[in-house]
Amino acid sequence: MDQPILAVEAVSKRFGGLVALDSVSFEIRPRQVLGLIGPNGAGKSVLINVVTGIYRANSGFIRFAGRDITNLPSHELGRLGIARSYQNIRLFRRMTVLENVLVASKRHLLRPFRSIFAGGRDRDISIARSMLERVNLTDKADYLASSLSYGEARRLEIARALSGEPRLLFLDEPAAGMNERETSELADVIRAARQAVDAIVIIEHDVGFIRDLSDRLLVMESGRTITEGNPLEVLADPRVIEAYLGVDDDEP
Amino acid sequence: MIQDYVMFTGVNILLAWSVYIILMSGSLSFANGAFMLIGAYVSGVLTVKFGVPLLVAAPLAGAATFLFGVLVGFPALRTRGIYLILVTVGIAVSVRGVVESIAYVGGVQGFGGMSGGNPWHIVALVIAVGAALWVVSRSPLQRILDAVREDELAARSLGINVVHVKLTCFGIGAGLAAVAGSFYAHYMLHVTPDGFGILVSVYIVLYVVLGGTNNLWGSALGAAIMTLLPELVRGVAQWRPTVFGLTIIALLLLRPDGLLAFRIPTVRLRGRSRPSRHDAARNVATPEQW
Repeated sequence: MDQPILAVEAVSKRFGGLVALDSVSFEIRPRQVLGLIGPNGAGKSVLINVVTGIYRANSGFIRFAGRDITNLPSHELGRLGIARSYQNIRLFRRMTVLENVLVASKRHLLRPFRSIFAGGRDRDISIARSMLERVNLTDKADYLASSLSYGEARRLEIARALSGEPRLLFLDEPAAGMNERETSELADVIRAARQAVDAIVIIEHDVGFIRDLSDRLLVMESGRTITEGNPLEVLADPRVIEAYLGVDDDEP
Repeated sequence: MIQDYVMFTGVNILLAWSVYIILMSGSLSFANGAFMLIGAYVSGVLTVKFGVPLLVAAPLAGAATFLFGVLVGFPALRTRGIYLILVTVGIAVSVRGVVESIAYVGGVQGFGGMSGGNPWHIVALVIAVGAALWVVSRSPLQRILDAVREDELAARSLGINVVHVKLTCFGIGAGLAAVAGSFYAHYMLHVTPDGFGILVSVYIVLYVVLGGTNNLWGSALGAAIMTLLPELVRGVAQWRPTVFGLTIIALLLLRPDGLLAFRIPTVRLRGRSRPSRHDAARNVATPEQW
């Protein structure tokens, strides 16, 4: 059996008295797309933020390809091959679309001040151009990122994440607020991204979207994982339906 | 007279760039007058007391101030925005206070005996630094700096060591201000700590903000205009601060984003075309991003 690309072991995260993650454990294996679902406040985004180094875990371990990465600073995680998109898209809006993709190239950002003398400009551009082709943004290459539509901006954010050649990609509600056409274009981009990375984790509320894209679903509620497995089975699980629709507290 | 204009304009352009370099990584420094002071004194001591030639002393002062900048920058750059500004003001005030209390360099009386300041050294330095900044503006480094300046969190997630980038820029800006201070001091022959008060730091920041914060030309133009414009009314000395102040107000009213607000993309996919007016109009500086 393959070594898991990511292993989260009993990770907890508290904000003051609030337990956002309560001993969460799961694994992602290579060539897998994991869908992470659960009601608002279940701790999905907190989990991604802990794994990508934005928050520090209070306890537990995180291993990436066998290596302990618990609470490493986020730029180290980026360098190791963990990339992400944000719930509220975070592009470099005053840079062009092409520059947003170029800046993520590992070749330069590992040694920023030596990049002044680095050659290979044409090669950088042709790699970035092919990345833009993959997300269908070549026509907008020289536009400012701030001028993109919502759907385009999301695709650019994913292209930027991919141009760092990550092994693991986290997408935090990528389809939120998108219309049908944008959602289907996004799904194409994510399917293509599968070829480029070892594994993808998607947080999403759009059940149809996540069912179609995921190999496995992990369901969270109140900071805990409640079930995990094949998308169709998980979505039929009474506990999952209950978590989404809620239970009446007045009943015994 | 012309020598004075060349000297002061050149020094102020270098100082404006020293702030611009730090601003490129997203920090606004009000400490560059203090870095200039350190450069003036370190190089002055080297030339006057140890007989080191100015052209050796100035880079040494720059290197020493680079290290000082990195040292004070490490804790200072943990703060952001308005807090960072206050910390750099604190650095400016304390450096001056400390130097005033050192008898070896004359205390409040100041330090003299320097000589050999040559405006053409400054002109050469302006050309060299300008060329270096121009090379950077077309390099991958420019994109990395822009990323850090615009969104530290996103930049960090990509793998950029934000602390390293910001600290290095802070050090380089400090070092450049010190080199400018070295040549300035040797031109003035005598300097006092008082001459590098917080107002000097404020002026330098004004050059950059009025000129435009998104490209190297804006800072230089801002410094040149704000140095030379008040000189036009030199005959009536008491009006110079008024002209300076009115220029600031006029520029802020007419060009709130600075005279040259545009950011030129580091690369373009199609052709080697100049940025269109359309692009430039959207490319406005946003002071909130400091």
